[in-house]
Amino acid sequence: MILTLFCWVALICFIAFSVKKAMYFAKLPQHGRQDLYPIPLETEEKFKYGGSYMEDDKWYEKERHHNLKGEILDMMVEMLFIKKLFVNQNSLWWLSYSLHLGMYAAIAWSVLVLVGAFVPVGAFATVVNFLTILAGIVAGVLMTVGAIGLLCKRLFVKEFKAYTTPQEYFNLCALLATSAMGLVNWLGDMQFEFGRNIARAMFTFKPLADFYDGSVPIQLTVFILLLGFISIYIPLTKMSHYVGKYFTFHKVIWDNEPNMPGSKIEANILAAAQKPKNPDAKKWSSPWENGPVEEEMPVQK
Amino acid sequence: MINGKDLRPRDMGNMSEQLIELTVADLKPLPAPFDKPEMEPGVKPGKPDWNEKFNSELDGFIAIDTFERPKTKEEEDELVQKFLHGVEKMLSCDTNGGIMQVLNLTMEYCAKCNTCSNACHIFEASNRNELYRPTYRAEVLRMIVKKYFDKNGKLIPGGKNDVIVKFVGGDIDLNWKTVARLGELSYRCNLCRRCAQTCPLALDNGLIAREIRKIFSQELGYAPKPLHEKGTQLQLKTGSSTGMSKVPFLDTVEFLDEDATDLFGEGTTEYKTPMDVEGADILLLHNAGEFNAWPENPMAFTMLFQEAGLSWTLSSDICGYDNVNYGLWYDDAQCKKVAIKQNEVAKKLGVKRIVIAECGHAHKAAAIMADRYYPGSDRVPVQSFLPLMRDLVKAGTYKIDPNRNDFPVVLHDPCNYVRQMGIVKPQRDILKMIMKPGHYGNMGLPYYEMKDHGVNNYCCGGGSGFAIMNSMSFPAWRDNVAHRKKLEQILEAFGPELMENTDVPKYICAPCSNCKGAMRSIIEHYQLDRFNVHYGGLVELIVNAMTKYSTPFMEFLRDE
Repeated sequence: MILTLFCWVALICFIAFSVKKAMYFAKLPQHGRQDLYPIPLETEEKFKYGGSYMEDDKWYEKERHHNLKGEILDMMVEMLFIKKLFVNQNSLWWLSYSLHLGMYAAIAWSVLVLVGAFVPVGAFATVVNFLTILAGIVAGVLMTVGAIGLLCKRLFVKEFKAYTTPQEYFNLCALLATSAMGLVNWLGDMQFEFGRNIARAMFTFKPLADFYDGSVPIQLTVFILLLGFISIYIPLTKMSHYVGKYFTFHKVIWDNEPNMPGSKIEANILAAAQKPKNPDAKKWSSPWENGPVEEEMPVQK
Repeated sequence: MINGKDLRPRDMGNMSEQLIELTVADLKPLPAPFDKPEMEPGVKPGKPDWNEKFNSELDGFIAIDTFERPKTKEEEDELVQKFLHGVEKMLSCDTNGGIMQVLNLTMEYCAKCNTCSNACHIFEASNRNELYRPTYRAEVLRMIVKKYFDKNGKLIPGGKNDVIVKFVGGDIDLNWKTVARLGELSYRCNLCRRCAQTCPLALDNGLIAREIRKIFSQELGYAPKPLHEKGTQLQLKTGSSTGMSKVPFLDTVEFLDEDATDLFGEGTTEYKTPMDVEGADILLLHNAGEFNAWPENPMAFTMLFQEAGLSWTLSSDICGYDNVNYGLWYDDAQCKKVAIKQNEVAKKLGVKRIVIAECGHAHKAAAIMADRYYPGSDRVPVQSFLPLMRDLVKAGTYKIDPNRNDFPVVLHDPCNYVRQMGIVKPQRDILKMIMKPGHYGNMGLPYYEMKDHGVNNYCCGGGSGFAIMNSMSFPAWRDNVAHRKKLEQILEAFGPELMENTDVPKYICAPCSNCKGAMRSIIEHYQLDRFNVHYGGLVELIVNAMTKYSTPFMEFLRDE
């Protein structure tokens, strides 16, 4: 039962820590504009060359077009294919994308084993089982290849090695160990029955051992411990960039919403102005909430 | 000294006198006709007495000309402590709330994949010297934060020195040299944000350079004189960063009007710049440096606006005749002061909009940075001159003969309003309407595009204040390293054959005062005048194409 509980703890921690991180970033004060073009929220034509609404005379009198479709499409392309890395550093993309695609496949595998655990025998179950095998192999192989490749790059390429911290090596090793252990389990269980057993144990709140004649194989125990560990660990580290990326794109470089009278931006500024002031704020950051800057700057030497 | 290729972030506190040394041989080779060693003037070393008094500990060059080396151990310790207090304020929502979300994301998520490095013109020009890698300075700051601050951004006196901090990458020695070098290194970045544009996580290591500059200015009280003392402070005191107060400004404008009338009035037109006209539609904000360095630019604006019959005015108020806002580069508080004053001038005159003339950083400061300084209801709308001019030319307001612009023109894109404001097409639309088609140009255009252009442009190398920072040895670094990529782009755009044809005048169109300052430095340092290379803005080209004038507007055409 300990393994079943651990699986639940890991899953809940993964979600809770990720949400907590997202809430932290979401609650930070409204920042100054950091537009960086092209911005997919602009019209399709402008997005192609990086143009903006500020290319129009008296832009402030014109209706703003928010190309939501363009925004979603561009974000999906970035999320699914890591387009910026593909375009700007293709040599690294192959390794990085291998690792990421492996992770996406691992998520798909998790969903498929859950479905496969409870779906009745039949044509649909056969399809699900086939997809489970496909996703599982893709996940294990690509994650392993990607993690080894990135590890080698950081170990042997000077310009990567100089900036890599012990923790970053550890992160890659943890991912590699997990995917490799997944493959080891698969070698002894080509149908990924162990995945469905984990799902069954979790959602029926039964000991995993019940599905293994009272004793969980050692290699599966190691895999569950590794998988659970990285599920808890990832949201606490920079590997949680799946959270940060939403903010860096949507709330930073794509946020070109002007501060118009009656706008939400203006309302935020007015609300911030009501908050108590820190005396040091006057000589620090710029937004309105700090009040107008008086002659209190340090004397330039 | 350490070989630049072997440098690591933890070397920042190395006790050697100077971290690295830079020579022309270390830099990326230039294309023809600068592919022969004797074509480059070389790097002028700094004077020994500068090095004794100031901080040349980084690479031998000095950008922060107000920073003197600490003389005692107490002064060294005080510098480190003040710096740490500055970092603490940088990390606090109370004191730095206006950038916290962006900063925290960048501090936390950088994967050090080096994609940004490949986008940086300074790193490329230095032949991939680690010191100039965009992640280098950012990583040093990250290491300091990991070692000396808790997860809430509170300073831990003495820092952490346990296994965990080494594990997460906080293993760095913080001494006065680390601080002094980090400050200096923040002025080895043009803040062009090309690195951020290519980052797969949309992080902004350029922002870190600006935050370090802020700590130096807002906490330690150090900023380069041309930016602060002779820049912002002079602007707030006299009305302009050039030091030109109201009366000389009015005299200059009057003189330029007379000049325009004499040269181009053809006996029928008197050009008169409207001044302090209340209730006008447009308050035109020039970079005051134009009046001294490139007076033909404000003159061209007056001619174009008057010919179009626009309702417009200049202001003679403090900050009303100078659109510069150097705070954008080093200090939020200074930036806010100037932006507020500019808005107040516009409100006082009762104009309907502020139009920013040919100055890139002023575009960003007034339209983007200042956009969230105060409630929208208090803001006079700000826009660029470019869409206005594009519409005027397109509407046939001026009789244009593109054949009058029959010389090669290469277009430079100022980062501040192209990559950072998305104003890309109007200037190209204008050039298509005013340049002679089918003679010079590339990509089927009547002008030359650089290889990387539009939002993918490279900075001129004068960005973030470099164009006006001429103290001590800094210009030697700027001219050789920061300007290098732009020179390469210009040479490649024109090509060796056209470059070496000295009979053909070649024009670099740089619609931005700081970019023009950079072009001036490039032309002087590399002696491009021997190849008949000229530079200037965009409005000059429009006036030059107007059939109304029998005299060419461009002086280099008149000389012919």
